[in-house]
Amino acid sequence: MIEVKDLVRQFKSGDRTIKPVNGVSFELEKGTLASIVGKSGSGKSTLLSLLGALDKPTSGDVVVDGVSLAGLPAGKLTEYRRRDIGFVFQQFNLIPNLSAVDNVMLPMEFAGMRKTARLERARSLLEQVQLDPEKQSRRINRLSGGEQQRVAIARALANKPKLILADEPTGNLDEQTGEHIIELLSSLSRDHNTTILVVTHDRSLAQKTERRFRLQQGKLSEETVRPRVAAGT
Amino acid sequence: MSVLARSVGNAFRNKIRTAAVVAVLAVAIGLALAMLVANQAVGGKVQELNASVGTVLTVNPAGAQGFDGGGEPLTTAQTATAAAVPNVVSVVGTKALRLETATAASTSTTGTTTQQAGPGGGGPGGGTSVTTNLQAAIDAGTLGTRNNASSSTGSGSTGTGNTGTAPAFSLPITATGIGAEVDTSGKALNITSGTGLGDYTVASTKALVGTTLATKNNLKAGSTFTIAGRTFTVAGIFDAGTTFGNNAVYTTLAEAQALAATPGELSSMVVTVNSMDNVDAAKTALQNALGTSKADVTQGQRNLQTAVSSLDSVKNISLVAFIAALGTAGLIILLIMVMLVRERRREIGVLKAIGARNRTIGLQFVLEALVLVALGSVVGAAIASFASGGIASALISSNSSTSTASQRGPGGGGFGGPGGNPFGGASQLLTSVTASASPGVIAAGVAAVFGVAVVGALVPALLTARIRPIEVLRGE
Ligand SMILES: Nc1ncnc2c1ncn2[C@@H]1O[C@H](COP(=O)(O)OP(=O)(O)OP(=O)(O)O)[C@@H](O)[C@H]1O
Ligand SMILES: [Mg+2]
Repeated sequence: MIEVKDLVRQFKSGDRTIKPVNGVSFELEKGTLASIVGKSGSGKSTLLSLLGALDKPTSGDVVVDGVSLAGLPAGKLTEYRRRDIGFVFQQFNLIPNLSAVDNVMLPMEFAGMRKTARLERARSLLEQVQLDPEKQSRRINRLSGGEQQRVAIARALANKPKLILADEPTGNLDEQTGEHIIELLSSLSRDHNTTILVVTHDRSLAQKTERRFRLQQGKLSEETVRPRVAAGT
Repeated sequence: MSVLARSVGNAFRNKIRTAAVVAVLAVAIGLALAMLVANQAVGGKVQELNASVGTVLTVNPAGAQGFDGGGEPLTTAQTATAAAVPNVVSVVGTKALRLETATAASTSTTGTTTQQAGPGGGGPGGGTSVTTNLQAAIDAGTLGTRNNASSSTGSGSTGTGNTGTAPAFSLPITATGIGAEVDTSGKALNITSGTGLGDYTVASTKALVGTTLATKNNLKAGSTFTIAGRTFTVAGIFDAGTTFGNNAVYTTLAEAQALAATPGELSSMVVTVNSMDNVDAAKTALQNALGTSKADVTQGQRNLQTAVSSLDSVKNISLVAFIAALGTAGLIILLIMVMLVRERRREIGVLKAIGARNRTIGLQFVLEALVLVALGSVVGAAIASFASGGIASALISSNSSTSTASQRGPGGGGFGGPGGNPFGGASQLLTSVTASASPGVIAAGVAAVFGVAVVGALVPALLTARIRPIEVLRGE
């Protein structure tokens, strides 16, 4: 269960301040698959970074399973990012001189998982995002944009997070692969009770989420809830 | 993938840069190690020289150090006077002889006789020449020949006869009659086989022979050889630690006096004072007791003092250079790592965003720095092992050139050094500072380099703690 309370993030640019997130409040039940749409520059990535404890809000709070992020010291926030959050960055942010498997293994290493277990899980995750086995040991900077995006998704799933925050996870994928990724995320929320918040411009992806938000002028509005559409059917 | 593996990988991310950094580090580390090796070598030598100079005073007949000749030779009776001086713990009389190999000596018979009546009342410099059937263990090198020639003309005390035979010069062997089981600088003899001579005050045909001389002449304890036609038995073999020092024979004092036909006369006295602090006072007291017209008191191997002080300055220079080179290596690491941290800001942000602890990231950077330092140390140690000998001798020769020049001053005093020139020994000591890179010193130096590198890398590693995970959303 995640509660967002009157979140504000403002930036100073020159002599004026902009507020891409200006009083956002919502709640997400555990296991919900939700989406956020909005124009470019509307503040979607900014909101996601606040939820993922990458950035601190100017005001407001995020409460995860009853724990307020505002009250946590830096060390606990690191632990929160490591254990509870899976972040898929808009620009992937993989470590360029490491192989695909090594990138996926990183969060598990930080969590103290044993090496053989890490390797096994990394390979199975890369399989789930349909990365060719022979590309798994390839260095990141020799993979295509779409391949990198799928490695980034696999890395986000590494530590079985409670909350997955995915910024444009299908932006670089063809329709068919994109469909598969949606299906994967959808099954995670359904079968593993993972809460998933996806930022997307992709209408068909947004259509398949249970709750759909729109970010506009710093405010979040929710579209009418429809019954869940089973992925792939 | 572990932190270490990642650090190693990162160290080689930009191979050209890594090569450049390692090269610069290697120069700094190599210099540091070479300086440390030089410092240790020189330090060891200084200690050795100080120990040998130590608390020993040498008494020579008055004027023996000048050109105009002195007065009376020292006598056995004077040892009692010397022994009565406060703080003096022992007095050992010595009588120096110069052993010439029979064939070489025969060509300069006149020299031998001239020598006996030589100027300066038979200065202790060359000692009295007598023949022997022993062969010198060392061939006269350039230095020996030159020293021999210069000392012959310089002091005149070694006999003019030798000048004529200079081209075919063979090194004489030093024979010294000693009143106790010590060498001419007052150090106890190191007898490696056989026994000592027992009572050193009575005449006996037993002798101690230096290791190299014994080897050269196939002598063992119990073997015999001749001096001036008399047969001597080898009682023991001693090791003086130097090649020249081992080209020598010791007999009892009385025996040497008999061989030289000068009973009761001494070439010198070796006076040991109870402590370093009392050396100066004892020296004055001793000089007064013996009379300035009769004896010259010098601090044992005083001529080495200039060598010691020049070596001391070499030691200080090398220490400063070691610290400076070490600091440079640390600074190089600091600057390189600060640059790398700035360059990888975004990547550090990513690691934090996916849950890496600050210490994990800090450790990764410190290890990366250590990988660079390890490479630099390997190359640097190679440089050091090639360069340290050259650096040490360059330092020493530039620092001792003035002191070697001044060493010629006092003339032919001393004990009739092994090369025919008492100062041959001193310059020998200077050049024998061989800066060999001992594994222990190199290991200590490398440990110091790593210590400095850790300190240098810690600053940038701590900087990484201040990078916030939101950096990931910034552009490259
Ligand atoms: N650190 C910052 N300093 C100043 N302005 C910022 C900063 N970060 C983001 N902004 C501004 O905040 C606004 C929201 O940015 P954000 O990246 O959240 O947009 P977005 O909705 O994710 O856009 P897109 O769909 O293009 O990714 C933008 O106008 C951006 O310029
Ligand atoms: Mg964005």
